[in-house]
Amino acid sequence: MAHFAKLGANSKVIQVLTLDNKDMLNADGVEDETVGQQYLETHNNWPAQMWIQTSYNTVGGTHRNGGTPLRGNYAGIGYTWDEDDQIFWPKKPYASWVKHNASASWKSPIGDAPALTAEQESQNTADTHSWSYVWNEANTTWDLTDSKA
Amino acid sequence: MQKKVLTEQALYFGDVAMPKDWDIDRDKLSGDILQSVIQNKDFPFSRTWDMLNTYMRDFIGLDYGINLVNKNSWGDIYKPGQVSKPLLNVDPVDLRNSPDFTMLYGVKVDKCWVRIHFDDNRRKGRSWDIELKKNMFVMFPSTNMYIVSNDQKDSLNFVQTITYEYI
Repeated sequence: MAHFAKLGANSKVIQVLTLDNKDMLNADGVEDETVGQQYLETHNNWPAQMWIQTSYNTVGGTHRNGGTPLRGNYAGIGYTWDEDDQIFWPKKPYASWVKHNASASWKSPIGDAPALTAEQESQNTADTHSWSYVWNEANTTWDLTDSKA
Repeated sequence: MQKKVLTEQALYFGDVAMPKDWDIDRDKLSGDILQSVIQNKDFPFSRTWDMLNTYMRDFIGLDYGINLVNKNSWGDIYKPGQVSKPLLNVDPVDLRNSPDFTMLYGVKVDKCWVRIHFDDNRRKGRSWDIELKKNMFVMFPSTNMYIVSNDQKDSLNFVQTITYEYI
């Protein structure tokens, strides 16, 4: 089963469809994206070049089953196709966040959240606290919060 | 103090912005409308109609998170100077099988105006006018009564209607 993202004029993903692998075989019997695109143009009334193959098992630039990742992320409705970087980007979570191509994800301008201390981890495990870092867009900081407090 | 919106009467309108060289074939649609009106037959399915319908469903879903399901579709022809009778696409005694939304598409239109009636709480009988231009759509709740008028003296206006329910 192959998956193709249908793009709108602004490169936004407006639909994701599945395609039987036999419908994207070329004359040599090899799976070929352009054959799938042509099939979808014929049967779904949308130009071939606006169908882009996407991988169900690719998330964050890696393949869940250890295979070869394809185009950063499995496309979802509302994602944006970046032709230059060949990545499907989810919606930007915060205005200040920036693209990180290697992980096909958005990162804060100061990097990932700090790791919890061993004590905080043990308190989370004991269910006495629920420590986590939450992004504070106004101050562009990671704020430590306890949702059980 | 907090606010909770219990319901809303939203109108959606704009151009049907298809990809380059993939425009809706409005000649085909107007021909089908003419044929279905003259022969008093159901509006025929066509690739062109499907392109319009899919565009609406895809983009309303993408932009507003509303999943539309087709109910019915037909075409209307308005003579020069004609003003339609008040139109309502819900059956008040069969709301279960009535559509949620009515979408009008300007197939071949010139000075085609749509007046949509609505109530604003106790301020009853208000209306909002919009000119339906070529390749433009307007979609509104089917519980709103509306009137279509052809405000010129020279040509017929062809309007495609598709009704939807949402899930």
